[in-house]
Amino acid sequence: MPAQLVEGNTAVIVGAMYAGCDCFFGYPITPASEILHEASRHFPKVGRKFVQAESEEAAINMAYGAAAAGHRVLAASSGPGMSLKQEGISYIAGAELPCVIVDIARAGPGLGNIGPEQSDYNQAVKGGGHGCYRNIVLAPNSVQEMCDFTIKAFDLAFKYRNPAVILADGVLGHMVEPLNFPQTAVEPVIDPTWAVCGNRETRGNLVTSIDLDFKELEAHNLNLQAKYDRIRENEVDYEEYRIDDAEIVLVSYGISSRIAKSAVDAARREGIRAGLFRPVTLFPFPAEELKALAERGSGFISVEMSDGQMREDIRLATGCRDVGLVSRYGGNLIGRDEIMEKMREVA
Amino acid sequence: MRPKDLATEAANTWCPGCGNFAILNAIKPVLAVLDEEGLVAIETVVLVSGIGCHAKIADYVNANSFYTIHGRTIPVATGIKLANPDLNVICFAGDGDAYAEGLDHLIFAAKRNVDITAIIHDNRVYGLTTGQYTPTSPSGFKGRSTPSGLEVPPINPLEMVSASGGTFIARGYSHGIDLLKEIFRSAILHRGFSFVDVLQVCATFFNLYDHYNQRVYALEGHDPLDRVRAEEKMREWDYDSDGPIPLGVFYKKDAPTFGDNFEEQNPRKIDIEDAINKTLERYI
Repeated sequence: MPAQLVEGNTAVIVGAMYAGCDCFFGYPITPASEILHEASRHFPKVGRKFVQAESEEAAINMAYGAAAAGHRVLAASSGPGMSLKQEGISYIAGAELPCVIVDIARAGPGLGNIGPEQSDYNQAVKGGGHGCYRNIVLAPNSVQEMCDFTIKAFDLAFKYRNPAVILADGVLGHMVEPLNFPQTAVEPVIDPTWAVCGNRETRGNLVTSIDLDFKELEAHNLNLQAKYDRIRENEVDYEEYRIDDAEIVLVSYGISSRIAKSAVDAARREGIRAGLFRPVTLFPFPAEELKALAERGSGFISVEMSDGQMREDIRLATGCRDVGLVSRYGGNLIGRDEIMEKMREVA
Repeated sequence: MRPKDLATEAANTWCPGCGNFAILNAIKPVLAVLDEEGLVAIETVVLVSGIGCHAKIADYVNANSFYTIHGRTIPVATGIKLANPDLNVICFAGDGDAYAEGLDHLIFAAKRNVDITAIIHDNRVYGLTTGQYTPTSPSGFKGRSTPSGLEVPPINPLEMVSASGGTFIARGYSHGIDLLKEIFRSAILHRGFSFVDVLQVCATFFNLYDHYNQRVYALEGHDPLDRVRAEEKMREWDYDSDGPIPLGVFYKKDAPTFGDNFEEQNPRKIDIEDAINKTLERYI
């Protein structure tokens, strides 16, 4: 099949269907509603479950239930809805269940507006709800990746029995690009070693996030931390562009990374030795790779539509205190010229 | 005060034909008259809206207002009323707001009989997110997330509020402004939780004007103190069947309101230090 022109939000559902996702639970919210619409159109036709829930909390708890039964579950929302879902996500992480959650982020805080922003970084990458837990977080920057990363998110969620978040934004959700459809489709298979299927075989499986014994809960937490370390060791993903001799490294993810990439080319034409480092996984964050760049003497500028939420991780990774920041808020994309200006300043 | 004194300069972004205009054009004269009559001073009015097309009403009425969170108009309004019982708090919420994301709050406001007014812009569709089904959409409804038609029947919000202990239950329609004004006035003057479900037509995503025009009628000779008869009338139309659709005040009852006891136990002027010492006596 030749590439098809589709919207980013549609690409999520294409990826989910090929990834064997068999349950979708959503609630209307701009700019993520198209994921709900596409799921409602396609899921029932192939015998998969779709529910528009009565609330964001209901949707994530339906996801919790279906995930406990071993199904491949997708939920999607935007910033305010993600905030509401945090309680459920914490329980899913605590109970160690696989689940994919798509965040088509919009501008905040509060009601904000429906333009793009990257200010959900902290609530996606640092856990977001109560307790010590992490989501695996993937940051696509194209319609193709909205599809491919959804598939990858299911793989990782099941590999580690952990919630995985696709962190995108209103532009990625709504922009239209050619999409090459996946080559193979995964059949949803339930793993009876941990899922609760209502039969004798799985009767002994326990899905819970409660542990009243202090020692046992500490042991559970240490196990979770060990799992997060394994994820850090094995799943870091990133992309580099013109980085080899770069003196200034732009660090940028998602839609901003595409603008940063064009700024690198423009800077090179001016003789500024610029490069782009694009984290593909935000958790695990590519800390070692950035540290190596710092050790060879590169300077860093974080290019993100937030108040420097990712910049904190760059500082921690590199040990550099003076990491620059180019940011916009309120639904405004970062302009290439704003990045250029900052680079000229530090070059 | 005249209704036009309550207008604002905010540009109105509702679609042409939107039923929200009727609610706006009914509430302004009602508030103006209540202020003129000295019954409800406009300074004491707080309008609380949620998230959805309806919520912009906060921008269009020149009165105190609070633009809240999706589903949370009622708890915010409850907080305002309890903190300052002298205020007259009127919630505007959508059907997605009040019957889906915030349903629990609606039930508890009715159960507590908190002295606020809730006006629900019930267009039976999520308009702002462009057309998904809501709890009051009829079965078979074809929306953006129900391409094959909604499989489940709607809830009847009047019966639900009645079952939760509501003390003022009414239904209005966005076509027929005089009745709407009458209902709003009684709702605001009722002491206790006043609930008004307004069949408010979304001209863009679910245009029911013709459907309603053929089916609605105003309750006449109905005694709203008669609970049995009121519930019969509420059941006359279940939001799914073909009607007829009664409009007006179905039920009304005087009952103690939530917060009355706070007032009794916490008179305004009090020797705070003495009261705190007494409460903490055993611990100090």
